[in-house]
Amino acid sequence: MARKDDKPGGFAVSRRDFLKSAGVVSAVTAAAAPPELDAQGVAAGAAAGPGEVPVRLMVNGKRLDLMLEPRVTLLDALRMRADQTGNKRGCDRGACGACTMIVDGRAVYACSTLAIEVQGKAIRNVDGLANGTTLHPVQQAFCEKDALMCGFCTPGFIMASVALLEKTPAPTPEQIRRGLDGNICRCGTFSRIFEAVSSVKGVARG
Amino acid sequence: MANPKDDLDLDQGRGGGPAAAPLPPADPKYAWPDQQSVLGTPVKRLDGPEKVSGRARYTFDINRPGMLYGRIVRSPHPHARIVSIDLAAARRAPGVKAAIVWRDPANPERNTVMYQGDEVAAVAADTEERAIDAARLVKVEYEVLPHLTLVDQAMSGNAPEVFKGGNVRQGAVQETGDLAAGFKQAAHVVEETYSTHVITHVCLESHGAVCEWDGDHLTAWVSTQGISAAREGFASGLQIPSANVRVITQYMGGGFGSKMAPDAQGLICARLAKEAKAPVKLMLDRKEEHLATGNRPSATARVKAGVSADGLLTAFDAETWGTGGAGAAAGFPLPYIYQFPNRRRTHKDVYINTGQQRPMRAPGHPQGSFVTEVLMEELADRVNMDPVEFRIKNLPPEAPNAMWGAYLRRGAAEFGWDKRHKTGDPATGPIKTGMGVAINTWGGGGRGPSQARCEIASDGLVVIKCGTQDLGTGTRTLIAVIAADTLGLPASAIRPEIGDTMFPISGGSGGSTTAAAVSPAVRIAVVNALDALKEKVAPTLGVEPAALVAAGGRIHVRDNPSKGLAWNEACKLLATQPISVEGNWQPGLSSVTTSGVQFAEVSVDVETGIVKVTRVLAIQDCGLVVSRLTAESQVYGGIIGSLNFALFEDRILDRNTGQMVNPNMEWYLLAGMSDVPRIDVRLVDQPERGVIGIGEPPTVSTAAAITNAVRNAIGVTVRSLPLTPAKILQTLAQRRA
Repeated sequence: MARKDDKPGGFAVSRRDFLKSAGVVSAVTAAAAPPELDAQGVAAGAAAGPGEVPVRLMVNGKRLDLMLEPRVTLLDALRMRADQTGNKRGCDRGACGACTMIVDGRAVYACSTLAIEVQGKAIRNVDGLANGTTLHPVQQAFCEKDALMCGFCTPGFIMASVALLEKTPAPTPEQIRRGLDGNICRCGTFSRIFEAVSSVKGVARG
Repeated sequence: MANPKDDLDLDQGRGGGPAAAPLPPADPKYAWPDQQSVLGTPVKRLDGPEKVSGRARYTFDINRPGMLYGRIVRSPHPHARIVSIDLAAARRAPGVKAAIVWRDPANPERNTVMYQGDEVAAVAADTEERAIDAARLVKVEYEVLPHLTLVDQAMSGNAPEVFKGGNVRQGAVQETGDLAAGFKQAAHVVEETYSTHVITHVCLESHGAVCEWDGDHLTAWVSTQGISAAREGFASGLQIPSANVRVITQYMGGGFGSKMAPDAQGLICARLAKEAKAPVKLMLDRKEEHLATGNRPSATARVKAGVSADGLLTAFDAETWGTGGAGAAAGFPLPYIYQFPNRRRTHKDVYINTGQQRPMRAPGHPQGSFVTEVLMEELADRVNMDPVEFRIKNLPPEAPNAMWGAYLRRGAAEFGWDKRHKTGDPATGPIKTGMGVAINTWGGGGRGPSQARCEIASDGLVVIKCGTQDLGTGTRTLIAVIAADTLGLPASAIRPEIGDTMFPISGGSGGSTTAAAVSPAVRIAVVNALDALKEKVAPTLGVEPAALVAAGGRIHVRDNPSKGLAWNEACKLLATQPISVEGNWQPGLSSVTTSGVQFAEVSVDVETGIVKVTRVLAIQDCGLVVSRLTAESQVYGGIIGSLNFALFEDRILDRNTGQMVNPNMEWYLLAGMSDVPRIDVRLVDQPERGVIGIGEPPTVSTAAAITNAVRNAIGVTVRSLPLTPAKILQTLAQRRA
């Protein structure tokens, strides 16, 4: 099963690390103000929320100022408060990977990352990946190989693939499999996703 | 697709049958062309760029101005009577704009919940988080009633009668031939029990809708496989004319049979929107998906089967049962395809307190295939025959829709079947390898009403409108390929518009009927449109319209490409009178019934019990291949879906509480990239048969092929799914004991 806790090369966040850093810890410390909040005018050490607080995110290089309850995830903040609906919610608990975004160069499950905790970090989602109508090489490869069917998992697979290729521009087949094991496609496009990612050349090291 | 409460035709899956070649269409001009320019070529999925860029808007992605979020309150009990529902605290909660009851405590017809997750009430609030908070404030008083979780318990004589009329519905006996004579002819008899488990659809986009009212008119964005059926469902559920309902499904994230109607959540969404006087989005969460939006029923078969000394099947006698949950049928075809001249079967539907089954990709066939194919493997060993030869010997007569024999021989050669060892890998060491095989069939086929409109404007743009929808199978691409081939244009020049009940009506996408229902309608509409264009062009060229052909981006005189007009020049003649003509589905361009075979190779670690599928080969026909890339993708997907059924997926219930213990995606297991083997897909072209769907058949037989490969590897038969490591180890231990 796709329960790979230890990923070679560290090109994608593992489930275990992810739960440690984002899920469990966030849940416990959500109410405590992270240091970034200082810049937002919330007193250091004071509890943020439970009402809405200002949250400043850097998404695809653009500043995004939102009013959010501290419990709002990165995924929901972008999907429901910024109309950036490219990345999807499949399971909402870090198992399917449809929400995968890249935060400071690492693939993360945005459904299990609190928005308030990624202030000051560089966030990339699929909505910002193409350059206008010019698709990213990974997106292009998915189209060429028909590496998608319903397409709901596709944004997550694409972001996980980009994260992988930016760390490991010439991955071995095993590295591709491991790198994408945190994503699930219910239509069953894995064979062609594998072909697509294998065919991508020229992704700059991130 | 059938209503889940309807009986599945237990006799389907016989394979072969009616004449496979279609009658020619009434007017030969509609016939599929002999020379194909775009048909059958690997055209890239038309909406690929929209999907990979995140621009494709699924129902889950629809954000409307002032939109609220709905949340359903569901029963935590598998069976209970609702004594009271108090919405007062929920209504007072921050941001709440609407709260409704779905059950009526005062109405004996509507005050009982039959499974964990059954709908009770609902709220809508300005954020999703607040809707979830408010749903927790709805006070429901339940009188907990006895429930049934286990099939065995429901079948036992001392179970409480939870379902009116009995927990078990006994079907009629089906009998053919002379059973006693059949067993008399048998040199060997196998008597065993085989079973498959309940799995859920796990569509990655959950079920749900966005509903918006304008007076008494409803616009509903719905994640559905059937926009027309959804419209009718809203109309009847809300008691409004269907003409007042518009259903839109531009993109949808998988359905697999579970999204044929608006369901409770669609109607609840519409009612919340009415009360709140604002648009409401109500998408289910993953737990709700597992509990309430359908599943594949279980199947158990106690079989006695006979085979003659020379390897001919003689008799088949089976008692079968299965559960489709609370009051739903659990039929499956048996025996599957192979010819038992003398057979008898009795079937029981067993009701338990879980969500009802819904059609799930090839409903019934994976179960029937598993039981029959594993039995075939055991019978082949009794007569010491190669499993491929044994199968060939017992197939229905070969026909265009019954080509298993030819495919088995072809597949065996390509797969390296001659290298297969006999049952039980003789290799020393813990890793055992094996090969297995299984075959499939599906009806599919198209039917009306299915209509399409072709519009050609003076700027040369070709728009095809059809009230069908795309589950992910590639409907847009299919439409574009047909129109492009007919008009001599590239597929990229066609703009298909689907997923809206404003367009000409087509059917739901179930039972692999979409391609065979939509393709003829599109072909006819586009031929009609081209005829209209030829009428315009002919006078300019000084010829009769019948002398013109469309090819290579031009309208020109047949056999004289230089005498003609480029497509855009030809369309300019339309000036202010664009072409808009319709086509209706007719028989003659599509057909029914496919055949396919699949080979699987596995390695099994007999120390850990872990099964790894290493290779799968699929040979599959589907008539005229319209869109090759997307057709192949269907086969890949079907195989991986069936691999999940064989090894990973399992709806696990707590036998005491009736609660599902894995209603998520971390303990409800699905294959990841590392679990997927090398898969080789061989589509067999049968253009003379017309279009046949391919969504269902490839997902029928992989699980059985894998199970037979495991048997070949470890030398013992596992007669139930899923093939978990624990079960493999247990089966091996039983042999040692």
